[in-house]
Amino acid sequence: MQDLCCAGAGEHAHWAAAATGRNAVEPARANGRRTTRPAPRRPPRYSALALVRHGLSGKEWPRAWRDHPLGTSYDVVIVGAGVHGLAAAYYLAANHGITNVAVLDKSYLGGGGSGRSTAILRSNYLTPEGVRFYDRSMELYRTLAADLDYNVMFSRRGHLTLAHNDSSLRTMRWRAEVNKLQGVDSELIGPAEIKRLVPYLDISPDTRYPILGALYHPPGGIIRHDAVNWGYARAADVYGVQIHQGTEVTGIDVADGRVRGVRTNRGDIATPVVLNCTAGWSTLVAAMAGVRLPIQTFPLQAAVTEPVRPFLHSVVVSGTLHVYVSQTDRGELVFGASVDPFASYSTRGSLEFAEGLATHVIELMPALSKMRLLRQWSGLCDMTPDFSPIMGGTGVDGFYVDVGWGTYGFKAGPVSGEAMAECIATGRTPEIIASFGLDRFGEGRLVGEKGAAAVGH
Amino acid sequence: MMLIRCPWCGPRGAAEFHYIGEFKPRPDAQSVTSADWRDYLYVPANPSGPVTETWYHRMGCRRFFNLERDTLTNESRAVGEGIR
Amino acid sequence: MSAPPTTMRLATPRPGEEIDRARSFTFTWNGRTIAAFPGDTIVSALAASGERVLSRSYKYHRPRGVLTASYHDPGCFFQVGDEPNVRGAHRLAEPGMDVHSQDTWPSLRFDVKAVNQLAGRFLGPGFYYKTFIKPQRLWPLYERVLQRFVHAGHVPPDTPRVTVDKRYAHPDVLVAGGGPAGMAAAAAAAAAGASVLLVEEEYRLGGHLRWGGDADLAALRELRELVAGTPGIEVLTNSVVAGRYDGNWIAVVRRGLPGGAEQLIKARARMLVVAPGLIERPYVFAGNDVPGVMLATAARRLINLHAVKPGRRAVVLTANAEGDAAVADLREAGVEIAGVVDARTGGDLVRVHGHRGVRAVEVAGGDTIECDLVVTAVGWTAPTALLNMSGDQPTYDPRAARFFPGALPEDVLATGGIAGDGTRDQLIGHAEAAGREAARRAARQRSQTRAMLPAHANGHGGSWPPADEQPVRLPELPVDPHPELFRASTHGMVDFCEDVSSKDLVTAIGEGYDSIELAKRYTTATMGPTQGKLEVVNAVAIAAQATGRTIGETGTTTWRPPYAPVTLGALAGRPWEPVRYSPMQPWHESHHASPLIAGAWIRPDRYGDPAAEVAAVRTKVAVIDVTPLGKLDLRGPDVPNLLNLLYVNKWSKLEIGRVRYGVMCTEDGVVFDDGVTGRLGPEHYLMSTTSSGAAAVWEWLENWLQTTHPDWAVHVTPVTTAYASMNVAGPASRELLERVTEGVDLANEAFPYMQVRTGRVAGADGCVLWRIGFTGELSYELHVPAGYGLHVWETLMDRGADLGIVPFGVEAQRILRLEKGHFIVGQDTDGLTRGFSAALDWAIKLDKTDFVGKPELAWQNADGGGPRLVGLQPDDGTVVPAEASQIVEGQRIVGRITSSRMSPTLGRSICLAQVEPRLAKPGTQVTVRLPAGRRIPARVCEHLAHFDPDGSRMRV
Repeated sequence: MQDLCCAGAGEHAHWAAAATGRNAVEPARANGRRTTRPAPRRPPRYSALALVRHGLSGKEWPRAWRDHPLGTSYDVVIVGAGVHGLAAAYYLAANHGITNVAVLDKSYLGGGGSGRSTAILRSNYLTPEGVRFYDRSMELYRTLAADLDYNVMFSRRGHLTLAHNDSSLRTMRWRAEVNKLQGVDSELIGPAEIKRLVPYLDISPDTRYPILGALYHPPGGIIRHDAVNWGYARAADVYGVQIHQGTEVTGIDVADGRVRGVRTNRGDIATPVVLNCTAGWSTLVAAMAGVRLPIQTFPLQAAVTEPVRPFLHSVVVSGTLHVYVSQTDRGELVFGASVDPFASYSTRGSLEFAEGLATHVIELMPALSKMRLLRQWSGLCDMTPDFSPIMGGTGVDGFYVDVGWGTYGFKAGPVSGEAMAECIATGRTPEIIASFGLDRFGEGRLVGEKGAAAVGH
Repeated sequence: MMLIRCPWCGPRGAAEFHYIGEFKPRPDAQSVTSADWRDYLYVPANPSGPVTETWYHRMGCRRFFNLERDTLTNESRAVGEGIR
Repeated sequence: MSAPPTTMRLATPRPGEEIDRARSFTFTWNGRTIAAFPGDTIVSALAASGERVLSRSYKYHRPRGVLTASYHDPGCFFQVGDEPNVRGAHRLAEPGMDVHSQDTWPSLRFDVKAVNQLAGRFLGPGFYYKTFIKPQRLWPLYERVLQRFVHAGHVPPDTPRVTVDKRYAHPDVLVAGGGPAGMAAAAAAAAAGASVLLVEEEYRLGGHLRWGGDADLAALRELRELVAGTPGIEVLTNSVVAGRYDGNWIAVVRRGLPGGAEQLIKARARMLVVAPGLIERPYVFAGNDVPGVMLATAARRLINLHAVKPGRRAVVLTANAEGDAAVADLREAGVEIAGVVDARTGGDLVRVHGHRGVRAVEVAGGDTIECDLVVTAVGWTAPTALLNMSGDQPTYDPRAARFFPGALPEDVLATGGIAGDGTRDQLIGHAEAAGREAARRAARQRSQTRAMLPAHANGHGGSWPPADEQPVRLPELPVDPHPELFRASTHGMVDFCEDVSSKDLVTAIGEGYDSIELAKRYTTATMGPTQGKLEVVNAVAIAAQATGRTIGETGTTTWRPPYAPVTLGALAGRPWEPVRYSPMQPWHESHHASPLIAGAWIRPDRYGDPAAEVAAVRTKVAVIDVTPLGKLDLRGPDVPNLLNLLYVNKWSKLEIGRVRYGVMCTEDGVVFDDGVTGRLGPEHYLMSTTSSGAAAVWEWLENWLQTTHPDWAVHVTPVTTAYASMNVAGPASRELLERVTEGVDLANEAFPYMQVRTGRVAGADGCVLWRIGFTGELSYELHVPAGYGLHVWETLMDRGADLGIVPFGVEAQRILRLEKGHFIVGQDTDGLTRGFSAALDWAIKLDKTDFVGKPELAWQNADGGGPRLVGLQPDDGTVVPAEASQIVEGQRIVGRITSSRMSPTLGRSICLAQVEPRLAKPGTQVTVRLPAGRRIPARVCEHLAHFDPDGSRMRV
């Protein structure tokens, strides 16, 4: 209890209100989605006023999430404390009242793909089921800061996918048309309007691969990925979900075709439900439960420059040149490209990536040649045969997966958490993820996202 | 960049090669079930550690060959010439 | 216009100074003229002029000055001309340079954003996560406010691009660091026969010897002479080892090219010797970032390299020999020593007073001493980045208060300060041993590499010494004890670039961000331009203390490449994007062809009006350049087996002189490529592929032959660019060819449709002619030995003039093939289109024993799944739907238009489409949604071909 810091009478009043059942978390929106349930405790609200109060009083902020001893049993064990795992934990508690949940991570919270993501949000996918899915995530992202009481800094910048040849332009048109039918704002625009949006782009016909047009998606943008991880962790913690960092799952006990528990480096846990949210290592964890996945692990590299005064206000992607770029509020340019050309679990990075990236970025924006690359890093990606995730149950009862996230996992955190929570709580696969089941591969029903999911996040 | 040991050319930079994928024995297409066939197509072993895989020396001797590589350290050693 | 007097320059030259007092020049700083000597850095010249406030910090816009006087000095980032973020304490001043402080308004002295400091107590770490949450619609405004805080230079949109070619290097031994250890190791390695590349970040070799005492300077001279006099050492100064990647692939960046350009050198080093020395660490205490607080190495550099007094009255906190030497140097420079606080006997600083400059410092024990300079020497940080990148996890030694190398791989050695302490001679002895051992291991690698190659007569000359079997033993270096001094009793700056204080770190940890990684991300400590070099150890020590753990248990953040920032221009080098042209390109250009970029090829898209070109093909004769078409020459008795395996149709009985169309699928049944293959002789075939698939199909063939059927005798030779290819099409094409062809009877009975002949065209021998029907007219595809391509083309144009011959381009060809319903792989099919979804029912021979794709195609056939490719025509023939328009039922998508054009031949719009199988019956009406939103009716056609479905026009 000592972690809960109630700074003043105001907070006590909130406590009392929560105890009487008044809804202490944001009420449901008018779209008919499930009402979030009242939280059992209520940490001090974040706000400018709170900042001033803390600044004046010199009082310390309470912990964003508590530290618990590792229990011996839980109703649900989630492996992986990235955005998917934390979101699932949050929605299990907030939407379904399932709070006896432990989220385990072998490293620090958000230390896997979620901490390495270039954090681009968009829903301009190619297939109707893909568009619906990612757009639900965008919908959740739009109100996430208020829902979680944590500024996740979703910056809606506008997202451009450049086309440098006919074939690409045709694919952009395909995406635009599918998007429009789903009510998602996307349109094909020409070089003049591209230049207006991104003055630093070279749109002349003399470049090696002239820009013919672009898919313009105004609702797309970037977000502070760490803040999303932390926001979900803090909000889940409010409900009593336990987050255990530095806790590595070393085995999953399966008997008679169902999950019985997990073994960790800090002790064994009995549980009937395990959710695998370890994209990057997912096949290794699934193998512990005897489940094989059509996933191969590839590194995805990214890099950042030194900060310069903001000049790039859109996210720019080029499939042909295998590069994408955005500029953070801190002024750094963030770059990414396609996955490495061979499977690996190494995150050491390569010089070829930095060279290729620089070559193509300067082709797009020649004025950047004197900017300096500050740091490169990489994460591990679950690559599936159809560039779409694998979500839902498996052949082992109680063993669920939310994996196969390729290079597009961060944007899907909220909708995946929401859907997997529903899947676990109700035992039924929600419609929104029906196309992403593991069984689709054995049945030859691959999802057609290959054109939109790879490079271009 | 990591070095790939081509059996004919010795250790060369990985950029000279094309990574084909994990080596998997091809099932008999006449008798295979759809489940087994799709398992062959889509499910790799994907270990974090040694794995046998096929590479093509695209910008060199243009031979296909198998290699055993540790997917974590990226160190490799030859297995034999490329025969399925 | 004369320069103002330099107030802090020492009149008496220093023994090791690197300035040339005989010449002087000026540059401008924020519009003011500053005097300098050659050899001055921008900062040493500013310091000589008495400038103290050089920049403003990121978040709070606090005044900052010299801290380290080295490349990484966080207070010294300037805009120089169009170059942002220049490291002013490293960059040499040049005449006429235009230097500005960054992001200060209206001026460095009176920076408006400094008002942030008043808000400091409210703007704790991560304050932005706690606010700006509501109302959400104001977030874009908040964002613009936050962006105003960006502390950095700017990128002018017209920055010219400077291209510097990259370079490769293959040294036996690459030595990273040109201090005493690096120099000794390089010389020893070279003397042992290794080729050596020695890389040093500063402008001259020498490391810390350069600003040392007389004995250091003497050793410096000796070592410099040794390196200069030992053959086999390439020295790169003002260069940095930016990264070590798998296989000792090392990125070296050479700086200092004109205009701020850099060169990337990619080195495959057999051995890497890491000798980066040690980086002096700042001390954390209140006011440690006020201008006038600097490190001992900074004071000694200014005094000894540039003859600049760093201040007038100094207090020195010393815990080691460097601090002691700084006291001596300060005295020699005429700086009044107001106090020496010895941390080894418990002395400590509490806080500095002053804002724009040090006014006084409070010492532990109560005294407040007036001064304008505070020098600290509290310890060293090992720059272990290259070791981390080599896979090492350095370990912390509390006795020495720094990290040491752990287990290094076979191809990396560490020497110098990073490996241990000791006298200069001990360190040089260790380095020499490291150099000899590096040379030995490099030699051993050489012989191991040779041994990996298939046995062959090895005629290598050269005097490479045989690989020594006995490893050179590296002497044990002592490790001197050093007090652990990270933070005083007060809080101060930890990350100067990011304006993160120790209080911020403690606060973050208290809020639950209690591992070093979380604390780093929450506060942004170590995420700035210095990337941890000056701050990570302090941050780790503070985190350890706050969490009750040891430094070893806390660990550090991961060192990632590049070690020092590299310009994008250096990484890009010169653009190498080869372009392919056919031999007829000069003709196309002089006839005003519009270029189409098709992968690496430039092709003529049109010469004028494509509709007129189409008409010429249908009514007269026209010719198109199709050189990019993939072509593979196949020879051997087993070619039919290969064709049967890779194509979906049957190839066992293709007679000599016949051509057949074939489609290839991959093992998942997806259509991969199509083309025609003709038999030229008993064991000689010519295969054509799509132009974009040429390389992939070649690899595909080789893959199957080498890995699955090495028993088959087949030779594959790519001849895509060996032939210039052109398609002569139209009712008059036979007549034209008869005029220029010898050795081939072109009459229809002698040379029917889907056959191949070889002969002489326009005097060129070895031409291949085949009759195929992509355009749907009588046509001959000629493959001419490339050297004769232009000649044959020009001859056709000349001899066909009276027949009305015109050239036609890719656009006209697209229309022609669409009129005939020929699909294009990758346009009318996609990554999931299996064979039966491409209207290939007639071609797929499931009764063949085996072929690639058969299992999936058999299952597709059995369950009837997947969309179908159909011909489609909008009811209103004047509407041409955009390609990729969706076919809909209400809001549900049931198909899409894959190809669409106005047909000049039919005078109406024509399409190909993919639709759900239940809509594929001829006559079915569907609804097409045009991009603007309008929906139009269209009808599924009987055939894919909209024109001449029987194909009679091709068979004349």
